[in-house]
Amino acid sequence: MRYAILLLGAPYSHQAAHSALRFTRALVERGHEVAGVFFYHDGVQNAARLAAPPQDEPHLVDGWTALHAEHGVPLQVCIAAALRRGLLDEREASRHGKSGHSVAPPFELTGLGQLVDLGLRCDRLVAFGP
Amino acid sequence: MLLHILNRSPLDSRVPEQALISMGPDDRLLLIEDGVQGALPALAVHFDGLEGRLFALREDLASRGLLSRCDKRVRLVDVADFVTLTEEAERTVSWY
Repeated sequence: MRYAILLLGAPYSHQAAHSALRFTRALVERGHEVAGVFFYHDGVQNAARLAAPPQDEPHLVDGWTALHAEHGVPLQVCIAAALRRGLLDEREASRHGKSGHSVAPPFELTGLGQLVDLGLRCDRLVAFGP
Repeated sequence: MLLHILNRSPLDSRVPEQALISMGPDDRLLLIEDGVQGALPALAVHFDGLEGRLFALREDLASRGLLSRCDKRVRLVDVADFVTLTEEAERTVSWY
């Protein structure tokens, strides 16, 4: 089956990000296709490039990045939710005159239309809220 | 048949009530995260009428030290079973 994940919770504030990552890993292990993980609302904080949690804690940003590296799962971040929280990729940082960027590949800033598209293309869309 | 996924305890939220009144007669309810508190015998009464359709995520019960306290009416599932539940349902609805 083809799945999509919607993640609405920030890392380290709620369990949502841990739950979503664990569930997505289980989907891949079962052999399902994961067409995308969409990060929305506070969930966009999962894409923070500069996240540096203590070494003895799970590194969620690295966890998502590894999922992409191992299985090619697209990591799509709502651009409107991200920009207002200070999460900008190089292009947006330049466009807004900021000196650094806080989002980098494999996370991609994208529009809400991508979430609609995932909902239409996938057999299941599973949401993890705060 | 829909799978409803609930991450709130009956003690700190009315979200479980919202989930319950929205459920169809064949729908299933999976308790995850803090929602697994609802699997304790004293709180499982909130889900009367869901016998056989009420599930709780084993990993989240275990991480809270509640695995041995789970009510007999609740079916324990692991993350792989969670995947199966989503396969068997037409759609999923998340309550948070």
